[in-house]
Amino acid sequence: MKRKFLNQLTPYYFLLPSLILMSVFIYLPVVENFYYSLFRWSAIDTTLNYIGFENYTRIFTDDLVGLSLFNNTLYAVISVIFQVFIALVLAAMLEAHLVRPFFGTLFRNILFLPSVLAISVVGVTWQLIYRPDTGLINQVLRAVGLDTLTRTWLGEEGTAIYSIIAVSQWQWVGYCMILFIVAIQAIPEELFESARIDGANAVQQFFRITVPLVRETTLVMTTITVIGAFKVFDIIWVMTAGGPNHASEVLGNYLYRVAFRNDEMGYAAALATLLFVITFLLTFIQLWLGRTGKEN
Amino acid sequence: MIKNQFYVISLLVILSMILVACSGGDAGGTSESSGGSESEAVTLKFFHKWPEPEHMEFYEFAVQEYEKNHPNVTIEMEAVADEPYKDKIRVLMAANEVPDVYFSWAGEFSWKFARAGQALDITDAVMNTDWKDQVILSAVEPYKLDGKIYGVPMRINAKFMVYNKAMFEEYGISEPATWDEFLTACSTLKENGVVPLAFGDEFPWAASHYVGDFNAKLVGGDVRSADYLLTAPAEKLFTDPGYVEGLARFQTLVTAGCFNEGPNGISHSSARSSFIAGKAGMIYIELEEFVTVADGMGQDAFGFFQFPSGSGDEGDQKLLTGAPDGFMISASTEHPEEAMDFLKFITGPEMGKEYVKRLGIPSAAVGAVNDETALPIVVKGVESINTASGMALWLDTDINIKIVEVYLPGMQAILNGTKTPEELMQEVHDAAVQAQSELSQ
Repeated sequence: MKRKFLNQLTPYYFLLPSLILMSVFIYLPVVENFYYSLFRWSAIDTTLNYIGFENYTRIFTDDLVGLSLFNNTLYAVISVIFQVFIALVLAAMLEAHLVRPFFGTLFRNILFLPSVLAISVVGVTWQLIYRPDTGLINQVLRAVGLDTLTRTWLGEEGTAIYSIIAVSQWQWVGYCMILFIVAIQAIPEELFESARIDGANAVQQFFRITVPLVRETTLVMTTITVIGAFKVFDIIWVMTAGGPNHASEVLGNYLYRVAFRNDEMGYAAALATLLFVITFLLTFIQLWLGRTGKEN
Repeated sequence: MIKNQFYVISLLVILSMILVACSGGDAGGTSESSGGSESEAVTLKFFHKWPEPEHMEFYEFAVQEYEKNHPNVTIEMEAVADEPYKDKIRVLMAANEVPDVYFSWAGEFSWKFARAGQALDITDAVMNTDWKDQVILSAVEPYKLDGKIYGVPMRINAKFMVYNKAMFEEYGISEPATWDEFLTACSTLKENGVVPLAFGDEFPWAASHYVGDFNAKLVGGDVRSADYLLTAPAEKLFTDPGYVEGLARFQTLVTAGCFNEGPNGISHSSARSSFIAGKAGMIYIELEEFVTVADGMGQDAFGFFQFPSGSGDEGDQKLLTGAPDGFMISASTEHPEEAMDFLKFITGPEMGKEYVKRLGIPSAAVGAVNDETALPIVVKGVESINTASGMALWLDTDINIKIVEVYLPGMQAILNGTKTPEELMQEVHDAAVQAQSELSQ
């Protein structure tokens, strides 16, 4: 009797090491973070003042949280358009039977290259390209007589966030494209061949064969992109640090600022909880969508 | 039975691994906490914000010199750049791993540490020994809170308007002494197709140096200090019309076309490069940057004057924007004697002269800056600091951080014309009221 019970316990012993590591480094901090969000405390003077849910009610009245979430959403929508739809179209084009043997590898490498660069390198390079006086973009605009379109791309409230999002697309479209290429290559060639024999043109092949058969990858890419857009921090911090006048603030970035500049650790913890809830929900949706995908 | 043993052993292995991992940290802690008497080995942690190679060379030299004379002392030095320093020192404080000797800006930035009991009161050690004769005492003032000294300056620094001599000569401009003359100089340069004033405000501390200077000249000293320290009555905080006027003048610099295009999109160092390259007539820089400019365009190619941001208004017209940079000692250090001794050494005249010689930046040690150790223009700059009636500290480290977070980004909006000076000062007032109420809690 006792032995049987112990036998049933066996798998849990094997799980124990990773369970302990997960609890210590992931679950415990999540709980701790929530605990700390109930206090007012600063990094310098670490006395905890209990204030209940005040930090959470403050989230709803803080304009910068709204602005940050708006920017995150913008980031997500634009990223999905480019890194899912356009990346898929690019992948299909490079895999088309007339392109692939000739330029497939070349373009694949060219488009993939930006994603291997370090974020800080990308950020600084694009800062130079966006420079108002000597930057490439404004110089080209001036050279073709479009002076009215020149902007201080990173320095104006209206353009800063879009300029950064554009850099992110430039960097990641190629990477997503490669993943789609892998998915497309898994589609049996016979399908395309018979479609061609039946007289289907490239566009029809794309919508009738490619799109339905890479559905799984599309789903995964969409959720990864959206979650990534809500967790974004590095590229923004490198390029504008949320400026000018908070115009390119995103949640991750604002959280960092609140914690390490404003010394409001409790409020930062509350913002972190908000970020956790958002990404948790998105992950949940991903898992749920992934499940129905398999049933079909 | 054998199986059972396996479970027990595997569990023991896992548990022991965890225990080893935990106790590893403890062991490190105890070995450092020992010490106290002179012969025993002492390790001091030293944290500053000058990781640039030429600075590190000096600090490594100073640390080596000190260790040579004090064989029992080991100094662990670490440095991160200016912007990340502001974050990292807070993280260390939160983790209760305050370095024994650490850098701090003067004014509110250092007082915050003092108020939280993180900085050691070194008044006795400075004032009742020969230490007080080694260091320029006026530069110690901004490290004082309630009459107690919490920090010792390493160097002194102030902001000057630097100009391209050749351009001023060519267009017949003389060093402007009033606000109106300054604007005239701007328009003369502009008419001749030159960017009058190079400005990079990607990180808005750059704007805060302008605005801080305007505030010093346009707002009365008592009012300003009561606002900055948040001791004024709540309804009066930052309501002096001088503040609005200061921002309005800052905005005038934009509308009059003084600045280069899109300052919000350019970093300060890249604006400085464009001045050095002869693309701009003037730039507002710190004394410590003189040596960079001199390296780039020759020490005779540029001159400087005090930014004439006021016009006989309420404030003190002879104030200079600037501050000493110095070090504090952790209140929780286990080796206060050694830490003070090291601080005294590194801020003393011997190292001060070495500092000036190597870096061209004025040290705060008495007699360290002279014709032998520094460029003539730097010596002249130090003279200007000595004749100034006082220092208006860097705005971004002199006021409460919650106000900074509203005030500085707002300046970027002022530059873009998306906010009016009145609107911004209203927001600053609200933030100040909020900060004041939190301080009193």
